[in-house]
Amino acid sequence: MIRYLKKYWLTAIIASLFMVGEVAMDLVQPRMMASIVDDGILGLGGSGPDIHLVLSIGLRMLLIVLIGGLCGVLSGVFSNICAQNYGNDIRKDVFRRVMYLSHEQTDRFSVGSLITRITSDVTQVQNMVMQMIRGSIRCGMFFIAGSVCLVTLDLSFGTIIAVALPIIILEVVFILWKTDPLFTLLQKRLDRMNTIMQEDVAGARVVKAFVQEKREISRFETSNEELCDTQYRVLVLISLMQPVMNIVLNIATVAAIKIGAVDVRAGHDRTGHGHGGHHLSLPDLKRHDDARDDLPDDLTRYHVEPPAPRGARDDSADQGRVEFRGAGFHYPGQEERVLHDITLSVKRGETLAVIGSTGCGKSTFVNLIPRFYDCTEGSVLVNGQNVRDWKLADLRNRVAVVLQKSELFSTTIGENIAIGREEPFTDEDKTETYRTRSGETRSVPSEIRTAAKIAQADSFILEQPEGYDTPVAEAGMSLSGGQKQRIAIARGLVRNAEILILDDSTSALDFKTEALLQDAIRTEYPGMTKIIIAQRIASVRRADRIAVIDGGTIVACAGHDELMRTCPTYIDIYNSQIHDSGTAASGEKGGRA
Amino acid sequence: MSNTSRKPDIASQAFARHPGRGGVVEKPKNGKKTLRRLLRYFKPEMFLVIVLFLVVAISVITSVIAPAFQSSAIDLIVDESYSGLPRMLFLMMVVYLISGAATLASGWISAALSQRIVRRLRSDLFERIIYLPLRYIDSHSHGDLISRMTNDADNISNIVSQSLSSLLSGILTLIGTIVMMLWYSVPLTLISCSTVVLSVIATAFLTKYMSRYFLRRQELLGDLNGTVEEYVTNCHTVTAYNRQEPTIRAFSDTADRLTHVGIIAEIIGGSMGPVMNMLSNVAFVVVAVFGAYFALKGWITIGVISAFIIYSKQFSRPINQIAQLYGQIETAIAGAERIFAILDENEEQAVVGTDSADRTQSLDGRIEFRHVNFSYVPEKRVINDFSLTIEPGRKIALVGSTGSGKTTIINLLMRFYDIDSGEILLDGRDIRSIPLPELRGRIGIVLQDTVLFTDTVRNNLTYADPSIPDEEVREAAHLSNADKVISHLKNGYDTVLTESGGSLSQGQRQLIAIGRVFASKPDILILDEATSSVDTRTEQNIQDAMANLMKDRTSLIIAHRLSTIQDVDEIIVMDQGRIVETGNRRELLAKKGRYYELYMTQFAGQAT
Repeated sequence: MIRYLKKYWLTAIIASLFMVGEVAMDLVQPRMMASIVDDGILGLGGSGPDIHLVLSIGLRMLLIVLIGGLCGVLSGVFSNICAQNYGNDIRKDVFRRVMYLSHEQTDRFSVGSLITRITSDVTQVQNMVMQMIRGSIRCGMFFIAGSVCLVTLDLSFGTIIAVALPIIILEVVFILWKTDPLFTLLQKRLDRMNTIMQEDVAGARVVKAFVQEKREISRFETSNEELCDTQYRVLVLISLMQPVMNIVLNIATVAAIKIGAVDVRAGHDRTGHGHGGHHLSLPDLKRHDDARDDLPDDLTRYHVEPPAPRGARDDSADQGRVEFRGAGFHYPGQEERVLHDITLSVKRGETLAVIGSTGCGKSTFVNLIPRFYDCTEGSVLVNGQNVRDWKLADLRNRVAVVLQKSELFSTTIGENIAIGREEPFTDEDKTETYRTRSGETRSVPSEIRTAAKIAQADSFILEQPEGYDTPVAEAGMSLSGGQKQRIAIARGLVRNAEILILDDSTSALDFKTEALLQDAIRTEYPGMTKIIIAQRIASVRRADRIAVIDGGTIVACAGHDELMRTCPTYIDIYNSQIHDSGTAASGEKGGRA
Repeated sequence: MSNTSRKPDIASQAFARHPGRGGVVEKPKNGKKTLRRLLRYFKPEMFLVIVLFLVVAISVITSVIAPAFQSSAIDLIVDESYSGLPRMLFLMMVVYLISGAATLASGWISAALSQRIVRRLRSDLFERIIYLPLRYIDSHSHGDLISRMTNDADNISNIVSQSLSSLLSGILTLIGTIVMMLWYSVPLTLISCSTVVLSVIATAFLTKYMSRYFLRRQELLGDLNGTVEEYVTNCHTVTAYNRQEPTIRAFSDTADRLTHVGIIAEIIGGSMGPVMNMLSNVAFVVVAVFGAYFALKGWITIGVISAFIIYSKQFSRPINQIAQLYGQIETAIAGAERIFAILDENEEQAVVGTDSADRTQSLDGRIEFRHVNFSYVPEKRVINDFSLTIEPGRKIALVGSTGSGKTTIINLLMRFYDIDSGEILLDGRDIRSIPLPELRGRIGIVLQDTVLFTDTVRNNLTYADPSIPDEEVREAAHLSNADKVISHLKNGYDTVLTESGGSLSQGQRQLIAIGRVFASKPDILILDEATSSVDTRTEQNIQDAMANLMKDRTSLIIAHRLSTIQDVDEIIVMDQGRIVETGNRRELLAKKGRYYELYMTQFAGQAT
């Protein structure tokens, strides 16, 4: 954390110096105020107010105040420059780290926690630095110098403040100590209410279908009552703070006057000190920001994916070839192996399908190819070279992965597809025009259009109000899961990579569209190696070979017809999806006839 | 020196999750009307409001007269008449104690007031949201709806708990101070006022600049958070496509702009303190100089100068405070406006009716669609002249490609949406004339996306009716194959499902959802088959459970996979909101029409 501050040490020191200046001026000023009252207004000699003295001290005091104010503003300028740039550096760095985390690491952190780390945690750290420069220097100086001042001003005033101050500090500590668990509880209650809202809004259909509005209302009422109750308790505690503080301070004032009076009677005090004393009431007692320090440490522990050590061989003879040699994988710290003994070779242009039940390791299997995960035993080769020896960017440029969950960005549909290509599109790229539903003529890069056509997405994109320029956020409402998947597939296709991986990314398509899509990819990209993961027999049966994964390893790998004869696991899956296989078989024959 | 009205600062520091000073001010569109409506929520709490007002008045009066006592005490010392001093000091003590107690009481009362009001506001809001038609919920962002309940309601709660008493005391202090000052010395009052005018101008000037930058900062912060959320959520895609560098660049741009604006905003905001401090010292010197002059002339006593110094401080504080509160109040009213906008939405029609469905009286289950037309958005017909009769006890499957209108048919039958024209009859009655609880109570539905609640398994199963006896729950779990799942849970039926059932797998959630429908014993069944597949064994369990459920019930199945509808009585093939074919499997296959096409793509893949 400190190393981020290095860059700004000078600014931090300047800010601190100005802060010292401001506080110094603040400390001198009550003395002058006291002097105005004592010497000017009361007139020490008993001759009554001396207006010239008041004026001259007053002007000097104003000068001091002006310098102090200037110092204050400048200290604000520098401490802000320091703290905010510091926060910004951390924020950017954390974001960079998160972007380069491997899938295995992002899986371990929840998305929500990563987001808070980048947003609110960084702000907290930033505030803490700010607090450190301004708050603590101010508080510290006030406390030390103030006490010294008061004691020199008059020992008895000093004693009063010395008694009052600990009481107040004690009070603040007590209240914070009491409220802290309440704040935790409050957060819990708030979360609970949020959960209920979330469930009832997202699950409105279920609530309505079961006619349970009343039940939900009473569930909400309970949570509402608990929340309000907790919040009330917090507020009650907090409202104790100020009045008690006031009472203590005011009693101190009374005591000050009492002592002052006694001293005056004894003949060795000057009335004005009464003002000087309690003008300097209290250093700012601020609640220390408990910014969570855990942020950078936590993230630095997880190192970023190591870059490939050696330079990559680029053009090898066997392009698009993927080979697994006894590959296996287990999560760090876990005994159980997700995958083991995977040996398989996919040649250029081949379509390999992978099928198996949920949790059998299908996704992990393909994640090993672009090194989303590193295999823990054996090796994976792309174009004849171990994936570990590839430069990561080069490797991933050769492999286009369409993920199970279609992740779309809040930009236009066209842009979402364009993200897939290595080089951004420029004006030099060939475009073609199309007509939107409203009859407008627009243009889109030909490569995008072609990819969308193959992905069976072109027709519904043209249906959108602004065609390829329709923002996804707005279309989000009307885009179905299948349509989102097809946009994601088009993104993968526009990459024109040597290897295409579809990770269960056609699950929401109906069979006809899926079949059209698979045929189009096959004819349009004959040289591309295609690896298709699926759960449905219909999605895989047309592949050149189907790898059946069960219990973490490949139990069979052959064409559909052969698997139907030889592989019991495959036949099981087939039967579970197609009940009376007799009818299906006859239908199949009919289809071929 | 007493400072009775600084509570908001402390409170807002303690509530660290709220932005402190200088947060963004949002302007309401129709402030007056919203404020009036918001004030109506105070009506039932009139008693508390009056007590609060009295308490605040006491605290203000004490804080105004306390300096007067102090000034008398000093005068006594100066005059060296020490005999009256103890009495005066005792009075001072009492006044300070009363002042402290009153502040404390006002804090407690406003806390109670704010929580009572917000609680009622939230209840009203929730009752409205739960009865909102699906058309509204489907077409609005869920996050947005939820933020009404949390952020907007919170803003109102804060304003009531923290600012109401400050506002009252600010106004009262202002009046009280002016009265006291005038009583002591009219010319010195006018002089003090002139310095206050200076500080008001300075505040207004700074606030104007500040709010511009704070607004800009808030916008950029929103951008930044949006960027983070999007890229972090989609980080797998970012890595898969090597987009890290452009992504980081875009993020850095926003972050840098945010920092730039943030620095300026904070500098302006931060100079507020020193500037105010300077001005208050100017006021001090001015009062001292003129006070000395007046005292020299013998117009006022020295004690009055001392009182004036305190008063002039007390005077500018409420003015600054009210200026700051104004912004907060506007933000809260803008939030209230959004809440009221939802409260003004129409509820689902015909929600009124029998309290809950009469479970003893059952339906035959004859469903009839007559020339139904429907569109979600005008001009984009989704259902076109749809006519279909389902005889009691029959099992009908709807098939068709994505977007053919299968799911919409359910929305219409359940009256989640109302049809544009035509009729839907249930046992010969138009469904629009059947009270919603009765209609929906007789129809059981298994949805594509399983929704479970953060509650015990038992309560999830008895969702339709908490009074369902335990044997029936167990039977339902058994018939739906959910008992296998439940027996593996730590506390069986009493296990609390966390995160809306997120701890269970997709398939397990589906089984429990089927059990839930079993327990409700519906007359008519709608099954919207899940698209996402689960593992083979669970799949088999689900199929069996659904088959059990369909026994002896009029059933409507929305099939995404043809394999699941082997034994239905009739298959309806839909395309673009119309029925294109009907018949049983054999007939449809023989026809070699649309169904045949779908079938071939599924079973014989290569055919197309």
